[in-house]
Amino acid sequence: MNPEVPSWLAGIHAWAERIEFSPLGVAIAESRYAFLLIEGAHLIGLAFAVGLLFVIDLRVLGVFLRDVPVRRVIGSLRPWVLGGFAVIFVTGILLFWSAAGRLVLSPAFPLKLLLIALAGVNALYFELTLARSGAGRQDLALPRSARAAGLASLVLWSLVIVFGRLIPYLPAWT
Amino acid sequence: MDLQQALSALEGSAIARAVSKSDHMVGASLQIVHIIGFVLLLSSLVLVSLRLLGKALTEVPVERVAREAHRLSWIGLALALVSGVLIFIATPRLYAGNLAFQTKISLFIVASIFQLAWFRRVATSGPRHPAVVRFSVAATLVLWFGVGLAGRVIGFI
Repeated sequence: MNPEVPSWLAGIHAWAERIEFSPLGVAIAESRYAFLLIEGAHLIGLAFAVGLLFVIDLRVLGVFLRDVPVRRVIGSLRPWVLGGFAVIFVTGILLFWSAAGRLVLSPAFPLKLLLIALAGVNALYFELTLARSGAGRQDLALPRSARAAGLASLVLWSLVIVFGRLIPYLPAWT
Repeated sequence: MDLQQALSALEGSAIARAVSKSDHMVGASLQIVHIIGFVLLLSSLVLVSLRLLGKALTEVPVERVAREAHRLSWIGLALALVSGVLIFIATPRLYAGNLAFQTKISLFIVASIFQLAWFRRVATSGPRHPAVVRFSVAATLVLWFGVGLAGRVIGFI
């Protein structure tokens, strides 16, 4: 398919092709039914994890449910967000398994992973800021640093979607 | 004028040519707006559903969650619709013949009618019988996630 794999990528590409052409990878790629189920679960996980995180970010920024204490919104939605992420990660790994060789050739794919990592670090920073600013308080507005992290979360997760969709569009590494 | 002629006419329109003749990154950008709009729509439906089932934000009245989520769903729907129409008109005949696309549009119409005629009423005015709530939540989530999944399949068949 793509004979011109740059030398620095050759090792990773060979590894990815071994995964893609493993029995599990081939089984997922060739079974339309399994592929659909996994894609469907990935979409549901996305709506719960990233979607509800958008809702939380909008609350942190003060544009959604602004008279409900931030900590209540977060506490109430956290289990659903985390459950959504569990589903996204498992289905995401399975989808990677079925297309690994092609995925590692697109610059958009490592960028997507990097942005997910950054969003994770940002979430951790947000949680720490929230904990430091008084865990028991029922305040309606958050410190500036927490609001900045909310905005960063909104931007980073949007970019994760952007680069996920760009995987087939960006030219492969040369 | 039959459907084929209508689609051809659409394809020849100035705006359709503007989209299809543009760089393929314009098409990719439209798809990204489409997905982000749809995620906003789905997440606000999930939020109202969780609240209706008593699984989240139980101390906030359902009507208030529904009202605020309502605005978010309209923003999401607007983004998804505008980008979706632009994606469609660039190559209307390609999409019109696609089974997944036909399924998506059918589900979208059913989901929209269900949403406006029924679900909105359940969310904004009580009293709510638990069985009615469970049925409404299940139906709306199945329909809208079905729209999304059918859309995802368009490129694969």
